[in-house]
Amino acid sequence: MAEVRPDEVSAILRKQLAGFENETDIYEVGTVLQVGDGIARVYGLSKVMASELVEFPNNVTGMVLNLDEDSVGCVLFGESTLIKEGDTVKRTNRVASFPVGEKLLGRVVNPLGEPVDGKGHIQFEKYLPIERKALGVIQRQPVKEPLQTGITAIDAMIPIGRGQRELIIGDRQTGKTAVAIDAIINQKFTHTADAKKYGVNPVYCVYVAVGQKNSTIAQVVAKLEEAGAMEYTTVIAAPASVPAPLQYIAPYAGATLGEFFRDSGKHALVIYDDLSKQAAAYRELSLLLRRPPGREAYPGDVFYLHSRLLERASKLSEDLGGGSLTALPIIETQQGDVSAYIPTNVISITDGQIYLEPNLFNSGVRPAINVGISVSRVGGNAQIKAMKKVAGSLKLDLAQYRELEAFAKFGSDLDKATLRTLAKGARLVELLKQGQYTPVPVEKQVLSVFIGTNNYFESIEVKDVKRFEREFLEFVELKYPQIFENIRVTKALNDDTIQLAKKATEEFLEKFKKS
Amino acid sequence: MSVYRISYRYANSLIQLAEEKKIFNKISADANLVFNTLQSSKELRAILKSPIIKLNDKKSLLQKIFDKKISSQLQNFIDFVVEKNREEILTEIFQEFLNLVDKKNNLARARITTAIELNEQQKQNMEKKLQSNTGRKISADYKINENIIGGFIVNINDVVYDASVKHQLNLLRKKFSEETVINN
Repeated sequence: MAEVRPDEVSAILRKQLAGFENETDIYEVGTVLQVGDGIARVYGLSKVMASELVEFPNNVTGMVLNLDEDSVGCVLFGESTLIKEGDTVKRTNRVASFPVGEKLLGRVVNPLGEPVDGKGHIQFEKYLPIERKALGVIQRQPVKEPLQTGITAIDAMIPIGRGQRELIIGDRQTGKTAVAIDAIINQKFTHTADAKKYGVNPVYCVYVAVGQKNSTIAQVVAKLEEAGAMEYTTVIAAPASVPAPLQYIAPYAGATLGEFFRDSGKHALVIYDDLSKQAAAYRELSLLLRRPPGREAYPGDVFYLHSRLLERASKLSEDLGGGSLTALPIIETQQGDVSAYIPTNVISITDGQIYLEPNLFNSGVRPAINVGISVSRVGGNAQIKAMKKVAGSLKLDLAQYRELEAFAKFGSDLDKATLRTLAKGARLVELLKQGQYTPVPVEKQVLSVFIGTNNYFESIEVKDVKRFEREFLEFVELKYPQIFENIRVTKALNDDTIQLAKKATEEFLEKFKKS
Repeated sequence: MSVYRISYRYANSLIQLAEEKKIFNKISADANLVFNTLQSSKELRAILKSPIIKLNDKKSLLQKIFDKKISSQLQNFIDFVVEKNREEILTEIFQEFLNLVDKKNNLARARITTAIELNEQQKQNMEKKLQSNTGRKISADYKINENIIGGFIVNINDVVYDASVKHQLNLLRKKFSEETVINN
């Protein structure tokens, strides 16, 4: 252990004492009238603002939610057992806010910005209020840049643009979080020097975990660290063990951090995992504050709860730096019921949804995306030209396949054309299967979809499709790297590249059949 | 309806009555007496809150207690409150009334806590200073609490002017604990 010199200690102490001014401290106080269930009613605090933070004894903070004639209703961010009737409450003169800055990257923090990963104190320069008004029309521009998730099925058929809000919805255990995590991991490429060369701007990620198990959050963080994705990611953790008010503000804190990146001309991806739990937390504290319950016991403003959050996702106009904030909210449905209150609300707010199905998941189609009912309302404009070109017929082919699949179950009397469609569909479904934590770069996605839609798989067994794809991509990488390079640079698929791709495919097909 | 709203209504009407009859000072002095009586006697408050005791009994009890000590107008007001079945918030009504009187007189009640007894000169200086600070007349209530070590604490409604040594030490402790982490 290094030795500590006493004179150094006193020097430091002196330095700190020097900055300490002895003057009268003026603050405003109130008295706790009633406390319990994470709510405190406070008498006094006559000048307090709505959603201002207040200080209770024992280092408990609270947020003012109700301003009544004679008292103030606060939600507590700590244990309500630490507070008793008659305690003094102090104003902080600060509305609930979240620290922002690059220092948060790579860290796990709670919704108040306090680190919970044991990596030490963070010195923040800037705090922004967690509730900010979404930008208006003038400040925005249409979504035009792609946000590659690295999942072929999504990037080809349900493309997401930077500044979009795309809902990920599905039952429990259908891989919702996996899709989101893959999307974060895939942003690693955007931080490389290569990406800069091809004109792809870096995307900073925020993962907001609401009402999840601590173990699940730890797993996600470990996975992100392993993939090297924590360098550009902040995790805001409000696990199931923290009081409902913290779970309620966590998504807003995430949006605030995302907006910081957006407003400084950068790009941010925020994942809210998941908003159904946040709605439940909000319901809890609304009922405790005696706000009248409505449908499914949610308060009347539960729509506004989510709309004001998701409206903050945006693509800024060039005058404002052209930054973007993409939101990927996650909603968990019960037994596939998308017509419940919260799912319908969020579906109507977002610019499309990715629907994950347990049936598909169990039959081995992973990611278990139901392509038929998943849509992206604005992402199409953001797709790179090459992808647009090859993926055009993909959705159609799969739709035809699904239609005929039902018929095929009845008998074998099918004509040749039908059989062909069925065979092609089965191979496409196989092609779109993808392992977890293995995002695919866009140029490889383009080539995969290219061979799929052009039916080069016709002569290959369904079970060999994945192996064919893998080996083919390796083959192209080695022998025809200019195909990938062309797509990366021009972002389009010109005739020369197509010819080259065709040639490569035929060449490889010969080799593959022999083996 | 909230207790605050009800007591405000009654208190406000009492003020208006007092002003109309030009007996404002008399009434407010009497109200002070009633409020102090209610504050000091726990039994009286318990009786007023009890639903078992009949209204008439409560009324005659209150009459006997305050007989001749307060003006007839205030006595009538108390009877009226009891009749309206609001006797359980009588204390709150008078509290609110006194608050309104203070507001009318532009008076602020300050609770001044010190570690040692102040002399008259200091007290006068303190009140003068507070008066110029708040722009209101000050009615001070002095308290001695050795726990604050030195300096003083002034409470005026919700606002606290804290110049106690104890508070300074607490701030210093907080500052040290925050900054040591960063320097390492």
